Amino acid sequence: MSRLISDMVNFGRQYLRSKVGLFFALIFPILLILVFGAIFTGGGNSKISLHIQDLDQGGMGEVFIRAMNNTSAFNIIEVPLSEDINQYIKNNSLTVALVVPKNFSADIGMRLALPNTTGLVNVTVYGDPSKTTYSMVLGATAAVSNGMNFGLAGTHPIVGAEGRSISATENFNYMDFYLPGIIGMTVMTNALFAMTANCAEYRQRNYFKLLATTNIKKWEWLVSKFIFYALLLSVALVLTYLVGRMAFNMQSVLTPMAFVLIAAGAFTFTAMGMLLGVFIKDPEGASAIANAVGFPMMFLSGSFFPLEIMPGYLQSIAGALPLTYLNNGLRDTMVYFNDGNALVNLGVVFVVGLIFFVLASRLMSWKEK
Amino acid sequence: MPGNIVEVENLVKHYPPDVKAVDDISFSIGKGQIFSMLGPNGAGKTTTVEILEGLRNPTSGSARVLGADIFKDYSKIRGRVGTLPQNFEPFDLLKPTEAVQYWATLYDLKITKTEVNRLIESVNLTERKNLMSKKLSGGEKRKLGIALSLVNNPELLFLDEPTTGLDPKARRDLWNLITEIRDKGATIFLTTHYLDEAEKLANDVAIMHRGKIIAQGRPDELVNRYGSSTIIVLEGAGKAGFEKLGKMNIKASIDEMDGRNVLVPVKKHSDMKSMMATLANSDIAMEDIYTRRETLEDVFLNLIGKKMEDGVLKE
Repeated sequence: MSRLISDMVNFGRQYLRSKVGLFFALIFPILLILVFGAIFTGGGNSKISLHIQDLDQGGMGEVFIRAMNNTSAFNIIEVPLSEDINQYIKNNSLTVALVVPKNFSADIGMRLALPNTTGLVNVTVYGDPSKTTYSMVLGATAAVSNGMNFGLAGTHPIVGAEGRSISATENFNYMDFYLPGIIGMTVMTNALFAMTANCAEYRQRNYFKLLATTNIKKWEWLVSKFIFYALLLSVALVLTYLVGRMAFNMQSVLTPMAFVLIAAGAFTFTAMGMLLGVFIKDPEGASAIANAVGFPMMFLSGSFFPLEIMPGYLQSIAGALPLTYLNNGLRDTMVYFNDGNALVNLGVVFVVGLIFFVLASRLMSWKEK
Repeated sequence: MPGNIVEVENLVKHYPPDVKAVDDISFSIGKGQIFSMLGPNGAGKTTTVEILEGLRNPTSGSARVLGADIFKDYSKIRGRVGTLPQNFEPFDLLKPTEAVQYWATLYDLKITKTEVNRLIESVNLTERKNLMSKKLSGGEKRKLGIALSLVNNPELLFLDEPTTGLDPKARRDLWNLITEIRDKGATIFLTTHYLDEAEKLANDVAIMHRGKIIAQGRPDELVNRYGSSTIIVLEGAGKAGFEKLGKMNIKASIDEMDGRNVLVPVKKHSDMKSMMATLANSDIAMEDIYTRRETLEDVFLNLIGKKMEDGVLKE
């Protein structure tokens, strides 16, 4: 036990003295939460610039544009009548623009006078369907059109929709859902990237050979790294949580299960780093392979984007990644307070970690063949 | 032989398909000796050391270290052996005192602060003990490596090319340290490609080439056995002097170290007086004339036919 503790203390001492290690473990997740918080919780101009060309120049066109402006979602920018809209979009690299057609007011007047006339009087939304701004403008335009229709028909809507938080605490904001992803990503990057690099450095500098001449056992060395990362990442979790709570009034809760999940994540990704380290001879190779494994996992496991928006085949890949279960488990316990589901995710993370640990222990050799 | 610290018989290490890193070598090391395995890079020195440290498995042969069969019972002697691997680099972000303390715990030893300081002092690192190891010079890093290898007070110390890449002063410092460790009773297995290092430090030298030991014995024995006994040095005689000696049918060579001196080997001691007279009375221009004994460097050249510089054989 004294060998294990001494190895952990001295490994930790070196890690904490390395400014890079300390930055990625403790500062980077805080920076992420601050940057994403600033983006997603207001505090800046979050309106979309909407270029509108009013070819109608009549009363209805004006009403429509005013209604769009009243949604508070857009900064309306008027497009001169002399401009060809397609060329204007191209010249200004716009992702979305709206055109109120010529005779918009007259056509609406005709529909009101002759109720049996079929066909809609449309405004046109130009844009790139792959961009979210296009979908947002299209949605807002449809809503404004509906509102105008009710007004013109002299009636008012009866059925509506009310937004409400799905979490147990209604005051949750976006950052509460985002925090578990940042924590999961921090656990993965620190444990996986650092351990892969450590293994390469230990091999290149002959530290493994040196260790093999002492009494320390391979499993003691592996376990000491896991305990260190579990402790370090728990501190990172607390710091990130406190900053998030103070800066963005986050309401998610640090549960005991969150700490257990952090420990399980540290175990899994430390073991995974060691397993990758078995096949790597130098630090440059370690960096390349850790990036090749870590970055796709970061994006596919729901750390930054909901899995639901991904195509089916990517969701299938996500289902095979341990970080997905760590993120889900953290959300289960911190946001939904569902420790039952968190326990299932914890089980998956732990079992995967155990497999990595056994493989790393068997395949890693401190001696030469 | 009883009392030997290391006994190796017919040790072989082959790497498929046809690399013979160690090719049937046998030797023994007596207690309290500095045994030097000397040879160029790739001769098989490190492979031999690592087999004896329990870090590699041999293809065949037997080896006993401190009385234990290292292929069966290495764990029994691990705590009695110290190791400094080739190109040792300490943990950059640990201070020497922390590194020594850490290493002691890996041997299950409880070491006091006083003992740590004493060990640091024994390798002359007291003034640098609180610096991060990455700030130590190359020589100081090796000294720290030796301090770590001494933490368990080993009876046998393996030093694999401890002075490679160091400047002359750092090398001499380490030589003094190695001699001190031997004088305190430890047995030392030293690999090197520096001929002067082996000659200066070793009680026993094994010259290794292409996996085989091609000569073994005390440095002076090797010089007597494989050398030409004595060399007359014509200082500053240069190429012109060398050519004149050729016309006089006297066998000679130009010292490749500086290209200025001409070397005339004399096999029999009885021929020395007449040869000195012949050379002194010749009209060869020179700055000085004197004799010196052959060294391991000459022995190495005679045995292998090539000179060795920084571990590399040169024509």
